[in-house]
Amino acid sequence: MTYLGSILKSAITDFGKNKGRTFLTSLGILIGVMSVVLLMAAGAGLKVYISQQFESMGSNLLYVMPGNMFGEGGSGLSGADGGMAPLFVEKDIVTLKRLKGAEYVIPYYQKTVKASYVGTTKYATLNGTSEDAFPGNNFIAEYGTVFSSADNSAKNKVAVIGSNLAEKLFKDGSLAIGKKIRIDDQLFRVIGVLESKGGGGLGGPSFDDYIFIPYKTAYIFNTDKKFIQITVKAKTEEDLPVLKEEIMTELKKRIKTDEFSVVESTEILNTIGSIFSILNIVLVAIAAISLVVGGIGILNIMYVTVSERIKEIGVRRALGARRNDILWQFLAEAVVLSVFGGAMGLGLSATVVLFLRSFFPAYISWQSIALALGTSSVIGVVFGVFPAKKAADLSPIDAIRYE
Amino acid sequence: MLSTVISLKDVSKKYIMGGDTVFYALKNVNLEIKEGEYAAIVGPSGSGKSTLMHIIGLLDKPTDGKVIIGNKDISSLDDDATSTLRSEFVGFVFQQFNLLNKLTIKENILLPIGYARKKFDYNPEERAEYLMERFGILDKKDSFPNKISGGQQQRVAIARSLIMKPKLILADEPTGNLDTKTGNEIMELFGELNKEGITILVVTHEPDIAERTRRQIKIKDGEVVK
Ligand SMILES: Nc1ncnc2c1ncn2[C@@H]1O[C@H](COP(=O)(O)OP(=O)(O)OP(=O)(O)O)[C@@H](O)[C@H]1O
Ligand SMILES: [Mg+2]
Repeated sequence: MTYLGSILKSAITDFGKNKGRTFLTSLGILIGVMSVVLLMAAGAGLKVYISQQFESMGSNLLYVMPGNMFGEGGSGLSGADGGMAPLFVEKDIVTLKRLKGAEYVIPYYQKTVKASYVGTTKYATLNGTSEDAFPGNNFIAEYGTVFSSADNSAKNKVAVIGSNLAEKLFKDGSLAIGKKIRIDDQLFRVIGVLESKGGGGLGGPSFDDYIFIPYKTAYIFNTDKKFIQITVKAKTEEDLPVLKEEIMTELKKRIKTDEFSVVESTEILNTIGSIFSILNIVLVAIAAISLVVGGIGILNIMYVTVSERIKEIGVRRALGARRNDILWQFLAEAVVLSVFGGAMGLGLSATVVLFLRSFFPAYISWQSIALALGTSSVIGVVFGVFPAKKAADLSPIDAIRYE
Repeated sequence: MLSTVISLKDVSKKYIMGGDTVFYALKNVNLEIKEGEYAAIVGPSGSGKSTLMHIIGLLDKPTDGKVIIGNKDISSLDDDATSTLRSEFVGFVFQQFNLLNKLTIKENILLPIGYARKKFDYNPEERAEYLMERFGILDKKDSFPNKISGGQQQRVAIARSLIMKPKLILADEPTGNLDTKTGNEIMELFGELNKEGITILVVTHEPDIAERTRRQIKIKDGEVVK
């Protein structure tokens, strides 16, 4: 066996014989590592979740929203306070549709409704929107078809529903086509069922639970004839900046500058990202404190160990151990103790993450495994070196005479 | 002519006590141990026997005088070189056995091997087996020290002191923690080992024990008196 192997083995068997104390000592490291790993797993999962949400909606999108969300003077998302009342009207839709760079213009009127079919009733999110909603969001009809601009002009009471809702109401999506469902107190004919988009989770509504109806038909519910949001899809990525300016110019003719905003999906992502990095810094700082506290626990127990084992140190020196042999022995014990705590923290985090995964795509990356084990070894070395040095610096004669 | 294993020239060990008084644990000791000797260091408690043994065993350094091994004064060696020399030159046997309780008997016997820097011209594992067999403790090889008798523990300690094939065995009161019968058995074992040519130095305050060796070095108040 190699030299390192033999000290590690001896350190490990040592702790095997002192399980209770080993566990308690490494508890601090365990908690520290666990919080770091869980934070990283949740952060990574959140990133995946957000980008999945945006990817499922497609790229080159501009969101026209009420409120001064990202404008100067606005303070991030909180600037939207009080500005969330529906604001846009049909004239805006028509105006934006005329812009050269705009491919699709998708207005949204949203309402939570009760959808029922023969005794089965489900809550769903109703969207009054235009025929552009389908190509603009990459929504494809799995059964039947989506509605057209003619349906909109004629105010036809037709509905396109998400796959999940279709399954809940009809058991099988294909059975939904042509059936009449009741949306609140109105009867609508289902003409299409969309392919599943996934998403949702976190308790938020999923596209698969949405109902889409023509926005003019939706005036039965939307008596103010106002829309909460208009999403505009640019023809190409290069069109985005110009299109954004044009939208601003057009809408400014009717609405005050600080009452609406036009944002790109990347801006939203960046804002959410920066909020989470601030949160992460705070939480990582807390985790770092618990790691330091854990390290101090190791420092303490190693000092105790050294003073309990002065005679042993003397015996080992008498048998030919050098100063460094003693140093490495105690340093290895501190590192084993600390890495043991780290590994347990990692193990527990893995269990928690496994449990979280049923709600949320959290995952433990290789980086966080490396970070957890790396940090705990570093802590073992940093806090173990003082007691180990104390042990190594004992003179052989004082150690062997010690009773 | 027999070669000298170690010689001490005018070795003193002084301790500065409170009030500037100097206490001599050892005073001008001149001593020569030859290869194959079986000697006892005898003297009353506090006379300096252990101090002398620790200096011979390279665990302690004299404040004055020279310790010569193989024509070299080893007082000037640094800590690492002293440790290496100690590992190869001397094997210790203690009154309290000083085995490590968390290691098995076999691991205890092999412990010095882990600290050795030399190349072995024999297989240490085989030698450990041989020593355990010879000392009647082979069936205990996987036991732990606190599970065997005092006499057996001291045999383990002697096996450990022999594993490196050192030039000299130093035993500090090896029978001090044993009953008379077991103590006699241990002394018999030393006698046998000496007949095979191993140099042994036993520290004791009991004249009976000292008589069983072939040379008595009497020490009193830090001075060798005979
Ligand atoms: N570090 C020290 N500081 C001061 N005095 C010491 C120190 N170490 C040993 N002594 C003294 O040196 C003297 C010799 O000690 P030593 O242990 O060599 O005696 P000993 O002959 O082995 O006695 P015993 O038979 O009781 O073991 C004693 O008086 C002891 O108190
Ligand atoms: Mg003594």
